[in-house]
Amino acid sequence: MFADAKALAGAIQDISAETAACVSPDLPLRANLSARENIALIPLYQKSRGVAEATQLAQALLDKLGYATIGDKRDPDMTPAERFVAKIARALILNRQRLIIERPGAMLYDIPYPAFLHELSKRIDEGPARWEVFDFEWNKILYS
Amino acid sequence: MFKHLHLKVGLFVIAVMALALGFLFYVLNARGFFEQQQHLNLAAGSAEGITPGVPITFSGMPIGQVTGVTLNDGGGIVIQAEVNADGARWLRTDSSFTLDKPIVGGAKIKVSSANLDSPQLPDNSTVLLLTSDPSQEIPVLIDRVKTILANIDHITRQDGELASTLANTRTITTRMTGKYGVLEGVLGSEENARPVANSLKNLENLTTRLNQVSAKVDAMLVKTDRWLFAADGVSEQSRQSLAQVHAMLVDAQGSLKRVDALLKNAVDISANIKDGTQDLAKLRAEVDESVSKANDLLNDINRMWPFGSGDKQIKLP
Amino acid sequence: MDLIINLVERTGAKALAWWSSIYSVLSFLGEAFATLAMPATWNRATLDTIIKQIYFTAVQILHVYLIYVVVISWVIISITLSTARNVGLFDQATEMIIRVLVLELLPFLTALLIALRSGSAINTEVALMKVYNELDALAHCKVEPMRFEFLPRIAGGVASVLGLTIMGGVLTLLLAYLSIYGLSASGLYPFATTIASVFNMKVLLGLAVKCGFFGLAVTALPIAAGLETPKKPFMVPVSVLRGMMRVFLALVLIEVLSLALKYI
Repeated sequence: MFADAKALAGAIQDISAETAACVSPDLPLRANLSARENIALIPLYQKSRGVAEATQLAQALLDKLGYATIGDKRDPDMTPAERFVAKIARALILNRQRLIIERPGAMLYDIPYPAFLHELSKRIDEGPARWEVFDFEWNKILYS
Repeated sequence: MFKHLHLKVGLFVIAVMALALGFLFYVLNARGFFEQQQHLNLAAGSAEGITPGVPITFSGMPIGQVTGVTLNDGGGIVIQAEVNADGARWLRTDSSFTLDKPIVGGAKIKVSSANLDSPQLPDNSTVLLLTSDPSQEIPVLIDRVKTILANIDHITRQDGELASTLANTRTITTRMTGKYGVLEGVLGSEENARPVANSLKNLENLTTRLNQVSAKVDAMLVKTDRWLFAADGVSEQSRQSLAQVHAMLVDAQGSLKRVDALLKNAVDISANIKDGTQDLAKLRAEVDESVSKANDLLNDINRMWPFGSGDKQIKLP
Repeated sequence: MDLIINLVERTGAKALAWWSSIYSVLSFLGEAFATLAMPATWNRATLDTIIKQIYFTAVQILHVYLIYVVVISWVIISITLSTARNVGLFDQATEMIIRVLVLELLPFLTALLIALRSGSAINTEVALMKVYNELDALAHCKVEPMRFEFLPRIAGGVASVLGLTIMGGVLTLLLAYLSIYGLSASGLYPFATTIASVFNMKVLLGLAVKCGFFGLAVTALPIAAGLETPKKPFMVPVSVLRGMMRVFLALVLIEVLSLALKYI
């Protein structure tokens, strides 16, 4: 979906958190936890898994995304791409029907992000089949 | 940074738990939770100053404490106390229990066992709680005796009021009792005037005697002080010395009474003579005060130590 | 007239603000206890975070704390002993030391130390979490921050105040014994008797409850204050300021209440 800032904000608000997992610059990682711990929080506290199992699940997801080494890094130590991957992993492990990526340009400001997104999505076979990207209208040409 | 985090926290938690449990055990042990307690009932006239927790001491060492205070059917006070097994062996059937309430600091119940050959006090026995320990009052008493003696001394010293007043009165009466004296005129004859002169002569002798008495009592008190702070036999010796103080004071009081009677006499006789009467009246008031102070003191002493027969009633002149 | 109405309005606004903050603290505490009561809370992960919090709050400063305790206790014991000797109440010195130092001053100072060190840190962290949307992110993920952020901090705070007070108290009693009787064992019996007479079960329980409330105050109040922070970075210092004021107020209130219950 492509729209201007106002319409985009409205569209995001309409999306229910029950069905969609969001990756957004407004939803940061927990700053004092490592990437792996941030991802493991969800199986740990939402699905009541054990610590070892949750950690394993988180690391497995990072491995699959090709960023196995960022597990121990905390938010301030990661590059924008690494941080984005951690956020994607956190959204994927929620296991909701939709995966929405909001304003990726705000998070991946130092790389050609549409290609990066495409690359990343090909490594994942589970979760929602389609990743939905909400971006500004004037960035539309970047995706072609 | 987080090296051995679990180990350190574990050590901390274990240390805290060990300290807490150790302290709890220590307190419970000190409170006699693990040992047999001997129960004791103390009968007292008043529960003033006695609350649960008031310690029971033997020779200054705490051996137990009060656990409760209740009224019995007769309106008397019954104090329940616990004495630990270790301290209970000092309780004898003839032990005395006294409540010590100092001016500052908390109250405590003192146990004194004069005769350690007496049989042990059985569990749950009831004993009488005395409200004051006589030996504690001796220093206070001696202070009061000293004050009274100083008073007597003041009145009777050589250049003191009594002496000068007496000299004054002597001059007047000599003048009055002469052949053409005023007194003769007032009383009718020389014969009638003579008793007054004799009274005054007696008064003078009495003053000397009073001085001797007060000197003796002073010496006594010095001895009493020494005995009180002596290492051995405090109780018995101080009792003896106080008995002597008592005797001395009775003596002094008798003397004072006679001084008073004589002065009264003199005042009565010379009631209508202006000169010297004022002085005599003042002196009499002073002697009166001394006598009443000595009297109070003797009453106190008699109340606390029933010396001798105890039926000796002291009356004010 | 306008002045009076203005005054009344302002008072009303103040009272409402006060009430709302008291209410938010109470509701936060209610939520915390409700979470505590849930069996799901009691898992390995929560325990791990509690252990981490105890490490940060108590173990990291243990040596510093014990040094403080030795210095403060030594000074106050010396003053008490010399004063007691001067006024002729040396027999009561042990009891005075226990009552003043171990029962009142030490728990209060411990709570104050933890409030200054951990309470302010907790307040800042929660305020930053709120300002930087981290709490919103956790809410989006449907993960309760109460279980792995707040509750462990509260539990760690309570455990730390209790643990440090116990350690400090025992250390102070040891110092008091050494100051009064020296290295001889002759004072063991009278010392034990004095301790026994002061520490009845009610006093021990009261001390534990007081320390528990202190621990609650120095952690729960900063968290509640942090949660109230508006989403503006410059409000973080204000939030910490308010939170710490409330902590101090609560500590004094708890102390006064405990004294009132004990001596009235």
